[in-house]
Amino acid sequence: MRASTTMRRTAWILPLLVATPLAAQVRLAGRDLDMVVQRGRQLVLQHGCGDCHARVTDPRHAEWMAGTTDTTGNRIGPFILLPRNLTPDRETGAGRWTDRQLFNAVRYGLKPGANPDVEVTSPVPGQGNHPASPRYLSVGMPWMSFRHMPDEDLQAIIAYLRHGVKPVRKAIPENPAPPDFWASEYTEAKIGPFPVAAYPTVNETGAGDAEVVRGRDLVVMHACGECHGGSGNPASPHWLQGSKSEQPPGTFAIGPFKTRPRNLTPDNVTGLGRFSERQLFNALRHGLRPGETPDVEITSRTPGQGNYPLHPKYLAPPMPWPAFRHMPDDELRAVAAYLKRGLKPVRNRVADSEGPPDFWASEYAKYHDRYPAAPFPAGGERKP
Amino acid sequence: MPFSRSSRPALLWRAALLVAMPAGAQQTAPATPQVVPAGSPRSVAGPPVLPNRSRDPGTVEVTLTAAPARLTLVAGAASDVFAYNSQIPGPTLDVREGDRVVVHFENRLPVPTTVHWHGLHIPATADGSPFHPVPPGGRRDYVFTLLPGSAGTYWYHPHPHHQTGYQVAKGLYGAIVVRAPDDPIPAAVEERLLVLHDNRFDAGGAVDLPASDSPRGRVDFENGREGDVLFVNGEVLPTIPIRAGAVQRWRIVNASAARVYRLVLPGHTLVQVGSDGGLFEHPVELTELVLANGERAEVLVRATGAPGSRAVLETRPYDRYVPQTRPADWQRARPLLTLAYVDSAPVQSPVIPPTLRHVPAIDTTRVAARRVFALSQGMINGKLMDPDRVDVAGRLGTTEIWEIENLVGMDHPFHLHGYQFQLLDRDGMPEPQRRWKDTVNLPKHSTARLVVRFDRYPGKWMYHCHILDHEDHGMMGVLEISP
Repeated sequence: MRASTTMRRTAWILPLLVATPLAAQVRLAGRDLDMVVQRGRQLVLQHGCGDCHARVTDPRHAEWMAGTTDTTGNRIGPFILLPRNLTPDRETGAGRWTDRQLFNAVRYGLKPGANPDVEVTSPVPGQGNHPASPRYLSVGMPWMSFRHMPDEDLQAIIAYLRHGVKPVRKAIPENPAPPDFWASEYTEAKIGPFPVAAYPTVNETGAGDAEVVRGRDLVVMHACGECHGGSGNPASPHWLQGSKSEQPPGTFAIGPFKTRPRNLTPDNVTGLGRFSERQLFNALRHGLRPGETPDVEITSRTPGQGNYPLHPKYLAPPMPWPAFRHMPDDELRAVAAYLKRGLKPVRNRVADSEGPPDFWASEYAKYHDRYPAAPFPAGGERKP
Repeated sequence: MPFSRSSRPALLWRAALLVAMPAGAQQTAPATPQVVPAGSPRSVAGPPVLPNRSRDPGTVEVTLTAAPARLTLVAGAASDVFAYNSQIPGPTLDVREGDRVVVHFENRLPVPTTVHWHGLHIPATADGSPFHPVPPGGRRDYVFTLLPGSAGTYWYHPHPHHQTGYQVAKGLYGAIVVRAPDDPIPAAVEERLLVLHDNRFDAGGAVDLPASDSPRGRVDFENGREGDVLFVNGEVLPTIPIRAGAVQRWRIVNASAARVYRLVLPGHTLVQVGSDGGLFEHPVELTELVLANGERAEVLVRATGAPGSRAVLETRPYDRYVPQTRPADWQRARPLLTLAYVDSAPVQSPVIPPTLRHVPAIDTTRVAARRVFALSQGMINGKLMDPDRVDVAGRLGTTEIWEIENLVGMDHPFHLHGYQFQLLDRDGMPEPQRRWKDTVNLPKHSTARLVVRFDRYPGKWMYHCHILDHEDHGMMGVLEISP
């Protein structure tokens, strides 16, 4: 069971975190820093950190992970959200914070510099060093899903940001926040418990093969539920059931078009029931809409070649498939296996997403050279 | 002015004739001349009927030729088209149950073609499917017998592989009427055949057929090609005279490549009495009739307006599109024809029987196979059409239940060749009454179940999306019925 595994792991690693800086910990764990950084890079790519923090999943980008001052996106009500500079720059980036602060940010959503730099052992405010009046990261950062990553994955991400990314001096203005620093948005009722509810919940079949269970972990940790329903909580009554509202995140306005997250449950009529696991794989790897792409193995990324459609029809943005496609084949297959076999079907008809007549093909044409990712270190990176 | 195309004297003459003549007399009237210059006013009772050359009372023998022609379809410009017997629409095949029909077909087109008798329950070799192309200059005799119970409104059009949309757009389509000896609709009810079609032309009058990889071609492929000119029997906004109190029976054929008509006659209700495979058991009163491409309907129009008044039959917006390619002007209502009340005292309305006929139920207790057909954009069950592959193998004399699921966000009308089927339910809701259908529209993300009995005629049959661009792309499969 994943929950108990996480707890065991947590119990083992936390005393080390208190005593030593991260680089020392990973050596203690018997892992080479270079390998940890590489692992962190893989996780940063496939979780789409760059989608917000660099506006692109491409480590060749000169301001890779340096955040953005572009105010055109990420508006939550009256608040404009500016993704932070995560490069190791000591003046403007994540170099200002300790590994422990960064860990607490992704695990508990605690804003570095706005909360005490202490080891936190509870997700509940007021308990285990969790501040009684926590100041959380801005809405939009899906830490409530990312927090379910194992400790060593979070540490690897921090190691990569610290040692594998070039520092960029780029000051990002503070994000405004409501007086409670989003605390009312991050109650357990809204984001689910930590650790995550044990598999299977009421929404899940209990199909027990390792691939399904692995896929469930990946779905939780990759924040699928942040748009498709249920946040990071598989016990939620909305878990992966798709859009139920015309407001974000039930519906996104992409320019003049509306994107409505699909029902990912295997319902035959309104969900993924009639799509094969291969079609789901092709959706995540290539961004191809499963209903409108032949159920075939695709061996090329050039339209018209190797079964890649000549006129590809892409998933509507902001589905972060340009990030998810960096997941290894077995992880994508596990996600498809969980969606098809680990979830119970739920009937929820979601109106179609809108888009330009070319189904975003001209938008995504420039993505063809971004996969596989450029070798490490690419333009925005450095060797540890 | 579209009105100017129907000259007033001709209208008055026709109106007088229609009032005076019983409906039956029109049907047996001598055949109209075969070559009618397109654009000139035609009988609003429908396109001319194919003349029967046979002297045998049980045989109808007709000649049908597909050839290039130059016709005036829209005011002010001649169009290079393909036409059956030099007419658009092609002449009507008007026959009776029990008739043995022999169609001597000649292909004078520069391309291979076929004639598909959409909806008729006839042998596979006479179906005009892509398996039996007629080469340029070739001839083929289509021979079939119309079974008892098959009375209804059907249509014919080409069905060559990958070329159906092109050839229909160029003008190849026509109607079929099969009559029953015991038709329950009173003889006092006048009959009209309305063949609906839409098309697009460039400034020079040429049929607008963009390259498939052009932006417009891509949108045509996605939506199915729609036109901005709406034709009824090849005319734009014709006028139908009616006398107050009278009832007219309209046999409506949707011969459009993709357009779904949502028909409304303001101030009137429509009493639907039949669909693809003939009359219902009971009439159904409607305020609007949704007719997908390939479908037919028989409706009774009761002249409840005042003498001298007018009503315009229009097609209202129907959202069948994916949001990505939904036309900018899709929300426009479009006029189709004018119903003009003559200035005469109302006549006594004929009485429509509440029961029209018995539609036998197909026995669903012994089902040989249940199959699922998942429709996605351009594919059925994730596959494109392959004439060398049999997708569904059925056996003669068996009954099957087919579940048709539309996976995507636009409508797809599903057509099965050769057999009339009955719908069981749509999205789990049972059908209100038994009807014979050969084409069923699947609205976006919906499911329908149908039952079909393969009672005769072994061979290879097609099933496909009737959006012609999708069919040509390969959204089609092969059903083989073995003896």
